[in-house]
Amino acid sequence: MVRDWVLHTVGEAPYAVEPRDHDPVRRTSIDLGVGTILLAPSAPLGIECLPPAEALVLLDAWHEGIRELGAPFSGWAAISSIDPDLDGLADLLDDPALVGLQVPATLVGDPAALELATPVLRRCEQLDRPVLVHPGPARGASGSPLWWPAVVDYVAQLQAAWWAWFAVGRTLLPRLRICFAAGAGLAPVHHERLQQRGGGPFVVDPGVYVDTSSYGRQGVDALVRALGIDGVVLGSDRPYAALTDPGQGAAAWRQISRNNPVRLLQGEVT
Amino acid sequence: MTLTASPATSWDPVPGGVPARAPAVVAAYSDAGFTGLDRLPQRTLATDELRVLAASVAARPELWECHVAYDEETRHYVSLHRDAHVDVWLLCWTPGNDTGWHDHDISAGAVAVVRGTLIEHNLAVGAASLATDVAAGQVFGFGPDHIHRLTGKDPCSVSIHAYSPPLWRMGQYAVGSTGVLRRLSVSYADELRPLDDAL
Repeated sequence: MVRDWVLHTVGEAPYAVEPRDHDPVRRTSIDLGVGTILLAPSAPLGIECLPPAEALVLLDAWHEGIRELGAPFSGWAAISSIDPDLDGLADLLDDPALVGLQVPATLVGDPAALELATPVLRRCEQLDRPVLVHPGPARGASGSPLWWPAVVDYVAQLQAAWWAWFAVGRTLLPRLRICFAAGAGLAPVHHERLQQRGGGPFVVDPGVYVDTSSYGRQGVDALVRALGIDGVVLGSDRPYAALTDPGQGAAAWRQISRNNPVRLLQGEVT
Repeated sequence: MTLTASPATSWDPVPGGVPARAPAVVAAYSDAGFTGLDRLPQRTLATDELRVLAASVAARPELWECHVAYDEETRHYVSLHRDAHVDVWLLCWTPGNDTGWHDHDISAGAVAVVRGTLIEHNLAVGAASLATDVAAGQVFGFGPDHIHRLTGKDPCSVSIHAYSPPLWRMGQYAVGSTGVLRRLSVSYADELRPLDDAL
């Protein structure tokens, strides 16, 4: 809930929203050279988990807002997690302004949950549209500082979602392109533990991506060492945090900022 | 999209690529406002900033003097500071101490000599390597492109080294008797020393 430009989110400290961060003209000018800005709804707000009628009003407003913004903006669709409307999802993704579906990591945080969510994800697969796994609502931790959800809850959620996908996702959804926000909480870096504990081999899946939001040279370097460069796409946590330099050089920058996102969004580049 | 080059890759080239031949004076380069190694900027430092940092630490013997010791066989060095963005080292030299040829991967660096004299060697292809004395009171910096070798000249020489990003992997080089150059990737935990030609 936003009251007097202060965002109140369950599990998080109140956040003073900066109105000018939501000025589209300013937003297009701060990351020079970025050709397309994909906006992601804030899944930590928990809109997807509201009673469906309440959620629908808010999600409709989100989708309408994306359409109204126009180029260079487009965005990710979101639907109710309680009562997912698959035909409605198809209608949403029929609009090129909505590039794919965002799901909260909390919805796909273990293999059983991922199986339950499979009908929704399968529709995206059938429509040849990608899925973005974004952190969901934080649990809240008493006495925790402002950064706690971003560094603890979100990372843990994304790690769980990444490994749920690794365990059963590709079997259930053989052609889905899926991207995990914030480097999947660096889950791929844990592949040595997977191997040691009998879960290996760890094979890089060319349909799986991670974005770089708020990670810099060290985090991106670790991801590239585990996944290769082709699975890494540029992301940011704006308006909470600025775009960071992945610090991997010009060729890697072209891959991360252009080639890989095109492959994620459109499929194989010919 | 154009990003500003990261500080570690933007440095002022020096004539002939030998930064030790254009050193700065430690006394003039140290930062009077330097308050200690726990108050460094939380970002990658540029070469010139590393020179200031190395000079500033050099100018404050209370930060390193207690660690000074010498060993002819195993070069004596102590980590004075390490965080996610920079590391600072004390190195103590005898005339027999020799790092061998090496690079610092993606790190820029700076060396301030506080006692004695070191020799910085620069590897040249098709020509004899260069050797430059760096005496107490001098500081020089270099970018991640730099390949060098440091040896002690005077007994009981001491230097302060700063790197950003902090050292992680390094390239250790061997020049074989045929002139063939080989590179071994080593951890920063390895003591740099001349590689055996039989590598």
